[in-house]
Amino acid sequence: MDTLSQLIAGFAVALTPYNLMWCFVGVTVGTAIGVLPGLGPALTIALLLPLTYKVDATAAFILFAGIYYGAMYGGSTTSILLNTPGESATIVTAMEGNKMARRGRAGAALATAAIGSFVAGTIGTIGLTFLAEPVVNFALRFGPAEYFSLMIVAFVTVSAVLGTSAVRGITALAIGIFLGLIGIDLQTGQPRFTFGVTELLDGLNVIVVAVGLFAVGEALHLAAQKKRPDGGEVIEVKDSVWMSREDWSRSWKPWLRGSLIGFPIGAMPAGGAEVPTFLSYFVEKRLAKKPEEFGHGAIEGVAGPEAANNASAAGVLVPMLALGLPTSATAAIMLSAFQSYGINPGPLLLQQQSALVWGLIASLYIGNIMLLVLNLPLIALWVKMLRIPEPLLYGGILVFATIGTYGISQSWIDLLLLYLMGGMGFLMRRFDFPTAPVIIGMILGPLAEQEFRRAMTISEGNLMIFVQKPLSLALLLIAVLALVGPKVWGMVRRG
Amino acid sequence: MRQQPAWDDVAIGVGVMLLAVIVGWQTTVIPDNAIYAKVGPKVIPWLSTALLAAMGIALTVMGLRGGWEHEDTGETDYRSLGMLALGLILNIVLIDLAGFIIASTVLFALTARAFGSRQIPRDAAIGFVLALVAYLGFDRGLGYKIGSGLIEGLF
Amino acid sequence: MQTRRHVLQCGFGAGVAATLGLRPQHAEAQALSSLQIFVPAAPGGGWDQTGRSIEHALRTDAIVKDFKFEHAPGAGGAVGLPKFIGTKKGQGDALMVGGMVMVGALIANKSPVKMTDLTPVARLTGEFLVVVVPEASPHKTMQDLAAAFKAAPGKVSWAGGSAGGSDHILAGMMARAMGADPKAVSYVAYSGGGPAQAALLGNQVTAGISGWGEFSEQIKAGKLRALAISADKRQDGIDVPTLKEQGVDVELFNWRSVFGAPGIKPEQQKALVDVMERMVKGPAWQAELKKKDWTGIYLPGAEFGKFLGEEITRITGILKDLGLAT
Repeated sequence: MDTLSQLIAGFAVALTPYNLMWCFVGVTVGTAIGVLPGLGPALTIALLLPLTYKVDATAAFILFAGIYYGAMYGGSTTSILLNTPGESATIVTAMEGNKMARRGRAGAALATAAIGSFVAGTIGTIGLTFLAEPVVNFALRFGPAEYFSLMIVAFVTVSAVLGTSAVRGITALAIGIFLGLIGIDLQTGQPRFTFGVTELLDGLNVIVVAVGLFAVGEALHLAAQKKRPDGGEVIEVKDSVWMSREDWSRSWKPWLRGSLIGFPIGAMPAGGAEVPTFLSYFVEKRLAKKPEEFGHGAIEGVAGPEAANNASAAGVLVPMLALGLPTSATAAIMLSAFQSYGINPGPLLLQQQSALVWGLIASLYIGNIMLLVLNLPLIALWVKMLRIPEPLLYGGILVFATIGTYGISQSWIDLLLLYLMGGMGFLMRRFDFPTAPVIIGMILGPLAEQEFRRAMTISEGNLMIFVQKPLSLALLLIAVLALVGPKVWGMVRRG
Repeated sequence: MRQQPAWDDVAIGVGVMLLAVIVGWQTTVIPDNAIYAKVGPKVIPWLSTALLAAMGIALTVMGLRGGWEHEDTGETDYRSLGMLALGLILNIVLIDLAGFIIASTVLFALTARAFGSRQIPRDAAIGFVLALVAYLGFDRGLGYKIGSGLIEGLF
Repeated sequence: MQTRRHVLQCGFGAGVAATLGLRPQHAEAQALSSLQIFVPAAPGGGWDQTGRSIEHALRTDAIVKDFKFEHAPGAGGAVGLPKFIGTKKGQGDALMVGGMVMVGALIANKSPVKMTDLTPVARLTGEFLVVVVPEASPHKTMQDLAAAFKAAPGKVSWAGGSAGGSDHILAGMMARAMGADPKAVSYVAYSGGGPAQAALLGNQVTAGISGWGEFSEQIKAGKLRALAISADKRQDGIDVPTLKEQGVDVELFNWRSVFGAPGIKPEQQKALVDVMERMVKGPAWQAELKKKDWTGIYLPGAEFGKFLGEEITRITGILKDLGLAT
């Protein structure tokens, strides 16, 4: 009950017209930058840090939280419409979402993403309100061994995106792992695969690779096709822009499952936002009534990962507000904003700054509603974007990809990488290689490697650490079950 | 039932093997220091080399046995593809020399041309306005400049 | 190709600057009215915040009015430094933020450019490091931890930031001071303070090293136990003994500083040093230090240059001991 009264006090703070205005500005800016590939909430908030000299703390954090949530909504829009992920956590959304858009179902895909984000964001925020302490205590039990085993579970999800040929899928995965290894090795400080280029020392940016593979690759692929006299393919928008009854009944369970996967993993200090989207995609494909639709625009493949992504965004705030731990780039920037106000975030943050923290949490609920109200009417408008003639549409996509890539690093080498990845994406499309495993390998490869080596350092090289720790063992068993379970089950049923 | 080798697929297989060679060669170059780490910086790179090499061999064999199916893409329009590639290359060259706005305008116009548009002045104008609005949006909205250049210097 | 690009770029840059009347070389060596602040890191990090605080303090105390920011992130400054040297040579109003981390990054990455190529302007802030153990740890003092480390170095795991960074450097220095091989340190590198703290709070590692500011709140809340700080002497309001007091003869500050462009005239250097001198003495900068919990360790121009030289020698030595430099 104590929590409830504090939450109500938080709403009293968040619902003042002044703070509501900042919340609105935040979600709007967040949606806008989420749409732009490469420009994430972390960089945007970092650029807005000087605001902390001018605005009071509550307003600034309400603004930042709005940007954070808004970016998660916006990121899915370009994934679905243009196959150009705005955020790394919306890469999975592009896989089914864009296929849906190509089949004329962009409206339904955007709607299930928006409503799913709302549902998951609200569930995540409720979790943040009431479960912060048990969740964070559970998350802290994850050490390097447990994380490594979790990454192994996540690797199993590759099997859901391998496509028609395991050889080609695993080739893509291996290329992804290689790309992920580029840069300074965190554990030993040695440069790997940098070819003497200083710009490569910090590694490749996942978004640059994803935008290159998906968007630039697609542009090259389409340009290479002989033009039809009618001026090229225009995507028809079929039926209504809204979700059908069937869409609803196929979406609501993935929303809930995605939320349940996303929130706890987001709360883990090394969980991240991408891993839950992979897991959710895998789960939805396995549970779907029509798994054959996956890869051709299955609505579950949009609803689940989008929910997982937004719930994990709420999860990230759990260690930040409960312990003062910055576990993502955005959380780290937000913590430095606290310091601009002379507030040192730590385990006592909630007690010392309870009005600020509860105002922030209340504004997350409000921001979520605002985002839903903002995004649903926008869907009709977004869908119209597909009517832009191809020459201008792809010109625009490439210019925006340039902003996202060059705008941040101001280095032409990143542009070169973007286009090289585009060339690779083009070849992969022509020779029917799946591109998603590249991204999965690139994200999971380094995570798994670092955790494996940390665990080995701590255990003095004893491999048994992965089975001696109960949580780690349980995760490894889940991985085995997920991989061979369906086959065994099939044999049992047939036999 | 052996079929004619599909040479383009073989080329992809050989390409992957070549990548494995490069990755393996670069792995040997990673400095090996005596730092306390039970698993050094080379272990996973070697694993990745092995995986790539195995897949390269498998793909090459598949290619020699007649290749695999891919989507029918019809005849390749090398002219358009070259136009788009030129746009990308010019973007890289121009972005530091002339600035983001000019480079983007050129990229936009050439992309539109590659996709079959014939109204180059109109496309260039649209690209210019788009880049200018984006640049000013970032500058005024976030106080962040997307590089510097000829037109950017005027603001 | 690289060189040609730089030449062309400089040509264009200078041309535009000249037409706009911004040419700083011809400005009188009196009070500067504008500054270009170059941050060789991403927005939001420590160097960016140092730059923003400089801007804020100079504006508030009406010392300099106009500011232009530029960021070139990557590899602890190893990407930004060549860019700064290439594009700002001879420009008297250019100021680059940097620090100790950059010294290590340049050595480890065998950078072709050196920090000594720059014009030293001022060392501004420093942060001492702290050695902590989890709340439940059996080690109550630095001596306990040192004894455990000497008995079996492999069994004591140390969490901190990336290999070769300030945390790792301190671990190496401590090992050497304790008579052990720095290479024997079981160092578990994390990509930032958050994940490293989580590993400590979850009792996954034996000990941790980080900047005081990263851990201070956890220490105050009793979740982590501070065993020692790397400062030269006890700090006001912090009840933690120094390493030196406890028989580990090591002192380390993670300092941050500002540099001028290479090739500027002595009077231009003096103008920059003067601006920093006035800022450091002003109320706005002092308020910033207090708010951000930074220790002011101001050292002007030439003295800072001398300090930098010594620091490079010292850090090169320890990185060699750690096997990170040759």
